[in-house]
Amino acid sequence: MAAHDQFDLLRGTLDLLILKTLTLESMHGWGIGARIEQFSKGALDVNQGSLYPALQRLEQKGWIESEWRTTDQNRRAKYYRLTASGRKAVGAETSTWRKYVLAVEAILATESA
Amino acid sequence: MSLWHAARARFRALSDDGRADAELSEEIRFHIDTETAKNVRLGMSPDEARRMAVAHFGGVQRVREDHRDVRRLKWIEDFVADARFALRTMRRTPALVFAAIVVLALGIGANVAIFSAVNAVVLQPLPFPAANRLMMIGEDNPEKKWHLQVAAPANLLDWRASVADFEDVTGYFEGVGNATLTGRGEPQVLNRSGVMGNFFSTLGVRPALGRGFTFDESFENGTHVAILSDRAWRTYFGADPAIVGQSIVLNGVTFQVVGVMPPGFSFPQEGIDLWRPMEWSQDYRASVGFRRAHSLRTIARLKPNATMEHANAQLQAVVSRLKHDYPATNRVMGASMLPLHDWLIGDTRLPLLVLLTSVAFLLLIACANVGNLLLVRAAGREREASLRLALGAGRGRLVRQALAESGVLATLGGGIGLMVGWAATRALVRLQPDGMLRVRDFGVDMTVVAYVLGITLVSALIFGVAPALWMRHRSPAESLKEGGRGAALGRHGRRWAEVLVVSEVALALVMTVGAGLLVRSFLALRDVNPGFDPRGVLVVHVGLNSKYDTEEKAATFMTQLEERARALPGVTSVGQAMNVPFTGATYTSDFIAFGRPEGDYGTEVSHAIVSPSYFATMRVPLVRGRVFTDEDRRGTPATIVINDALARSYFRGQDPVGQRIAFDKVPTDKSQWYTIVGVVGNEHVTALDAAPPIEVYHNVVQEPSDFMEFVLRTNGPPAALASPMRRLVQELDPSLTLLKVTTMDELRDRSLARMRFLTVLLLAFAIVGLALSVVGVYGVLAQTARNRTREMGIRLALGAQSTDVRWLVVRDGLRLTLAGLGIGLVVAMLGTQTMTKLLFHVVPRDPATLSAVAAILALTSVVAAWIPARNASRADPVSALRAD
Repeated sequence: MAAHDQFDLLRGTLDLLILKTLTLESMHGWGIGARIEQFSKGALDVNQGSLYPALQRLEQKGWIESEWRTTDQNRRAKYYRLTASGRKAVGAETSTWRKYVLAVEAILATESA
Repeated sequence: MSLWHAARARFRALSDDGRADAELSEEIRFHIDTETAKNVRLGMSPDEARRMAVAHFGGVQRVREDHRDVRRLKWIEDFVADARFALRTMRRTPALVFAAIVVLALGIGANVAIFSAVNAVVLQPLPFPAANRLMMIGEDNPEKKWHLQVAAPANLLDWRASVADFEDVTGYFEGVGNATLTGRGEPQVLNRSGVMGNFFSTLGVRPALGRGFTFDESFENGTHVAILSDRAWRTYFGADPAIVGQSIVLNGVTFQVVGVMPPGFSFPQEGIDLWRPMEWSQDYRASVGFRRAHSLRTIARLKPNATMEHANAQLQAVVSRLKHDYPATNRVMGASMLPLHDWLIGDTRLPLLVLLTSVAFLLLIACANVGNLLLVRAAGREREASLRLALGAGRGRLVRQALAESGVLATLGGGIGLMVGWAATRALVRLQPDGMLRVRDFGVDMTVVAYVLGITLVSALIFGVAPALWMRHRSPAESLKEGGRGAALGRHGRRWAEVLVVSEVALALVMTVGAGLLVRSFLALRDVNPGFDPRGVLVVHVGLNSKYDTEEKAATFMTQLEERARALPGVTSVGQAMNVPFTGATYTSDFIAFGRPEGDYGTEVSHAIVSPSYFATMRVPLVRGRVFTDEDRRGTPATIVINDALARSYFRGQDPVGQRIAFDKVPTDKSQWYTIVGVVGNEHVTALDAAPPIEVYHNVVQEPSDFMEFVLRTNGPPAALASPMRRLVQELDPSLTLLKVTTMDELRDRSLARMRFLTVLLLAFAIVGLALSVVGVYGVLAQTARNRTREMGIRLALGAQSTDVRWLVVRDGLRLTLAGLGIGLVVAMLGTQTMTKLLFHVVPRDPATLSAVAAILALTSVVAAWIPARNASRADPVSALRAD
């Protein structure tokens, strides 16, 4: 994987990615990070450490909840789950993101023309 | 609910920081273990796998700190940080902050003072045990239009005996009399109150020394007793505890002091020196006068379990029985009852309500102004806000910061406002005219402090919410679109500013209309012709003592004094009257003219006793006939002078002069007939705002009295006559002292004092409110004009005249002002109805007041708009365009 093919996450997008990942199932921190890397086919490099403050932030917003559960390997891990308002937020944030991308894309398109 | 989750998460984080750290450590441990396991599966050695896992995770310590920051930097820490930030940014605009705090402190201070009065007068219970069981009872007579009038003693005693729900019923004279204390150094004039023997026990107040009166002491028993007030005991008797049991001499009569009341007790009026019981004689008790002389304010105490409704039903049953048993006196005599506290508040409730409304409006205007200041300032920090938003600061954080700023402002304003309010309360206590409020002395107590906290909080919300909401709606994009100019409010912010200004103008209009109505009432009241000429008249109250035990002795003294007074230098005329206008001493009766059919009687005629020269001295004009002359002497047929009001209402179309009149409903053989010799103009006897009563004047020569007011007219200042008059009385009889010396102008002023006080207060509040609202209009226009400098520059560059540009700004101002005026007028028209009872010769919707106030506001707003308009029209097109 070449270095120039890998992106740092823009601020704000990590939250959206976490939320999106949690729409599938509740998960622990490591699992979320692994899932994001897997979905982006390795293009997005999640700074794993930054996951936890982000999770804390989302929990304070009331978008996710957490509880301690036992994993298949019989270890205690903290699992995060989307709340109802979190589910709504995914929709809103996604469309905001899409608009943003379109806007940037539109500008880039004119510049290259 | 997301709010609930958020609060819970924060609370958990705050309450258990250590546990949250431990949990995070466990989470990180799990993460790194899992990552390590994955790396091992990918074929790394365990050491390598773990090293890579830790590296990939990033700095554990930094993550911990970030996590902690997210957890903590919210809530309280945010608040402290916000407050500190607010203080720091405030220091950058000290003038603005100073202005905001002054405005708030004034608004809150005014509220504190008025609320202290409301608290003392209306909210605090009466200072008597179980005061809620004390009831005021008054007599009602529809024929004489009486409601809650003073009661006849016989009726009072029947209520006391027959209403089972009453624990006790007592009565007292409303007025305070004077008595001269002699035999202890210089003679002293004391204020005395006449009460029934069970007065103190019914109120539930015990003397501090000695005993109270007994019920039986209401009746004559050969001895005279008195109870001193704490103040009189200290002032005149050196706080000597041995005073109880001693004798004192009042008006030449010996009284035994049986008790001293506790400090602060002075009921029914302020400044009472001593109480003495009624001492009704058994003859009087048996006479018809005992049921006819309506003279006693009546207080009943309900039994502990009695309800007011039940007691009142019992009272009505007794009243009906009395109507039946004593038709001559009680045929139409009803009675009604209301809580003593309500009765005592009586007519102070409305002025207080009006004042409270006025200061509340003042505070709202102050809040709107501060809100506008904050809005403008927030706009000034637009760039900073956009930048912080773009950098990822939470929008909520910015809103909270705006709120923290208003919180800091409100706290400072409230604190200083409390001090201002404390001082204002002292001033209010000192400056209030007598009889303005039931409670003479009051201060700032815990209730008031709680109120201040409340209004401060509400104020902060009111003026903090606008900038906060505005912040909420801002987006960085919007502010970038608007050009990042120094201090642009933007469309949304401008709308907020305009809402605030329109409300300010509306509130100021309502305040000013209220004050304007009172000003007009006061002017009308001041211009009422009292029916006599009060200027240059000294009024001297002369009371004789027990030495003057026959009418002849009294008459001789009074005549002699009048003659000697006439000879004093500067005196042009002297007269006497038993009730000079505005002193409140009068009595009324029924009357009938000779030859009228039975039933054609009149009621409620006021009686005065005057000397022949009274009319000339007071310059009361003669309408018909003559006033008293030397022909009217003791022994000649009784003559009387009536006033024009009586002549017109009862002697419609006839000439009253020469007719005879008696003061009975139905004349009898014993009736005293008076020949009417003249009709004089109407005097406003009770007050300027009360219509002159129908009145008759008796001749003091024919009906001597042992207490009279002397009126002395002089060319010079009347007060200069006080000492010569005092010396004169001392020369004639050293055992007498002058009780009260005042001037007619002073009496007239005193009758205006309440109205003047209320008017001045309301006017002052209204002026401040008006000024603040004009400043508000100016502020917003200046702001918008500045925002449009570029536009103005372009307009000017394209050839617009500077007048056109000025008009643009002025039009903005007019638009806001007119909107405010419109809303204000509607509110004023609806609201001033409640003031009707305070107004005099002015209707609540007085068109003159409404239009004058609206015109003043419109005019001042145009002036306020003119300054920014002028500045805008002077914009230099070139520099305006470059201003970015």
